[in-house]
Amino acid sequence: MKKTAGIILLVGSLVAALAVAVATASTGRVGGVASTAAPAAETASCGKTMAIGVAAPITGAASSIGVQQLHWAQFAVSKWNKSGARPKFKIVQGDTQLPNVAEAIKVAKTFASDKRVWVVAGPAGSQEVQDSFASYKAAGLAFISGSATRTSLTDGSRKGYFFRVVPNDDVQGPTVGKYINGTLKAKHVYIIDDQETYSQGLATTVSAYLKARGVTVDRDSISQQASDFSSAIAKIPGDVQVVYIPWQLSAQAQAFGQQLKAAGKSAKLFGSDGLFDPSTFKIAGSYDSFFPVDTKAKDVVAYAKAHGGNADFFGAPTAAAAGVAMLAVQKACADGKITRAEVRKNVATTTITKSKSILGLTVHFTANGDLKGGAFGVYQIQTNGSYKRIG
Amino acid sequence: MRRLRGIGIPGAILIAVVIFFVWEIHNKGWTLFFTLLVNGLTLGSVYALIALGYSMVYGILKLLNFAHGDVYMIGAFMGFGVLSLLGGALSPSVNVWVLIALMFAVSMLGSGGLGVVIERFAYRRLRDAPRIAPLISALGVSFLLQNSALILFGSRYRDYNTFDLVGFGGIHIGDVFIWKMRIFVVASAVALMIALTLFVARTQLGKAMRATSFDREAAAMMGVNVDRVIASTFFIGSALAGAAGVMFGLAFGQIFHFMGFLAGLKGFTAAVVGGIGSIPGAMVGGLLVGCVEAFSQGYANGNWSDLIVFGILIVFMLVRPTGLLGTRAIQKV
Repeated sequence: MKKTAGIILLVGSLVAALAVAVATASTGRVGGVASTAAPAAETASCGKTMAIGVAAPITGAASSIGVQQLHWAQFAVSKWNKSGARPKFKIVQGDTQLPNVAEAIKVAKTFASDKRVWVVAGPAGSQEVQDSFASYKAAGLAFISGSATRTSLTDGSRKGYFFRVVPNDDVQGPTVGKYINGTLKAKHVYIIDDQETYSQGLATTVSAYLKARGVTVDRDSISQQASDFSSAIAKIPGDVQVVYIPWQLSAQAQAFGQQLKAAGKSAKLFGSDGLFDPSTFKIAGSYDSFFPVDTKAKDVVAYAKAHGGNADFFGAPTAAAAGVAMLAVQKACADGKITRAEVRKNVATTTITKSKSILGLTVHFTANGDLKGGAFGVYQIQTNGSYKRIG
Repeated sequence: MRRLRGIGIPGAILIAVVIFFVWEIHNKGWTLFFTLLVNGLTLGSVYALIALGYSMVYGILKLLNFAHGDVYMIGAFMGFGVLSLLGGALSPSVNVWVLIALMFAVSMLGSGGLGVVIERFAYRRLRDAPRIAPLISALGVSFLLQNSALILFGSRYRDYNTFDLVGFGGIHIGDVFIWKMRIFVVASAVALMIALTLFVARTQLGKAMRATSFDREAAAMMGVNVDRVIASTFFIGSALAGAAGVMFGLAFGQIFHFMGFLAGLKGFTAAVVGGIGSIPGAMVGGLLVGCVEAFSQGYANGNWSDLIVFGILIVFMLVRPTGLLGTRAIQKV
């Protein structure tokens, strides 16, 4: 009996430890190169309806952002199909279950071996891009992320395969740093990342920018699954003027802001593009950086109307990624035939003009796949919860 | 040196951790210490209620019910449902404290019922199967609940908006401010724990639960309706998890479909640390895990918080598998 009980406890503990390891494996590199027989060089005839892959964390801990990305991609495809443009498109979904990077690799391999898929919008996370790249490359697939911002992803090693429709951390970080130092004139800044690659990269960039200009910077870290921030808030020094939180979950930022207020701290919050969500993050007086998007644009309003009033801004760039993907396939299909290599080449040269782009800027790429001329604006949350551009 | 060898590596690590915390308290002062203590007790109260469910079920069935964390999540959503139905935090249609009482009542009854259904359909048939079978079944139920919640409630976080509901008020003890909802959460958890202890110690059903836990077959031979006792255990444990879910929503605001995963694991850790199968152990374990999490978050970098909590689980499994208040099972020959 004692032995049985011991075995049960041991098995239970192992299951628990394994579950934690899987859930927190966001920074762990999972190896693996696509071994599927990828139809990289196959030529096919274009049909009336073509498919693009959408890789996003649709379930799991980060599903709140993945579902936004999927919904925006669906919105883009639906709009395309209704416009009468040809070919029509459908989406093949891949659930990457961020932060479980192994799932992102599995999705990449599935897309690689799926002859219907010509190009992929996604994945969401920088680590996912890094670890699933080998599978996409082996299959000759172009993939366009709507949220992976780690600067090193476009260092040239993924040239021709990886693209992103969002500016990298080297654009957003200095914009934020410049505002905190130059406009807010903060002397003591507290930076808390959410332990994800996206967040840590931005936190490091902003920290370095501010330190180089003589600002005192303290760093801390909070799990993306945390809801109790009181202990982290308790140790924020009283003279801190700005708390920078480059997180992805706006609900967390809202809770953090409320708990900060409850603790009697007067520091201003400064969020990143991941928190640009007027329906959730409403702490009046807080700042946020985001693309120069027009929050009253026709598409934004139409999307929000179809989604219970939530514009889900974090997912909006994935609509741009899906748009690039569809244009590239359409161009490849001009002669009735298509290959993945052709689509890759087309993605690299595709342009969505500012007037047609949901992001408020022109979408086109540098040779290494970065967004050319990306820019960020600074917004302030008003007492009625709306976001006003101030920088 | 010989003495240091005697306490082993875990002991040396423990001493190093204690020295670190004493140094940090000395450096950062008592205000931070007591603030973190209050935070830890609030969080620990939630973990303790979750741990009780783990412990009670394990005590009777020797089953690690990994779906328990998701029952807690469903409980939190039930509480949110009542809050929304009665006007939401900004414009409640009834008195605030009546509303909170209703949230608790519905969540506890609903979660308790869910626990009974889970036991009936996922575990009862596996009662005499190899031990691994119900464990796998529990994991399956966990995923089922998680994904059902994703489909039913969506992936969006829901906010109890407790500050709108009860305001930012609280009490000051010296420089330490304690928000009134934290006091309410800790007091409610203590009240539930006392009620459970009295229930198990003084009622007929409580006696039957203890008898079943001690020896299920013998209890059945003595006329105890074992099925009813097990179902009752699931009801009570799940009802406590439901209450914990509402408390979490009230104290920390945000709930979402995946919240039961980590909370469940921490509840399990609390149960093991306290001594799985022991009701007082689960309470002590919960409060301890909550405090360790708060102190590690407050004195070290947040990256260390979960590492330290789950490190404690491993240390206890190695050094004291029976936990703080657990007892060794009697070996039958």
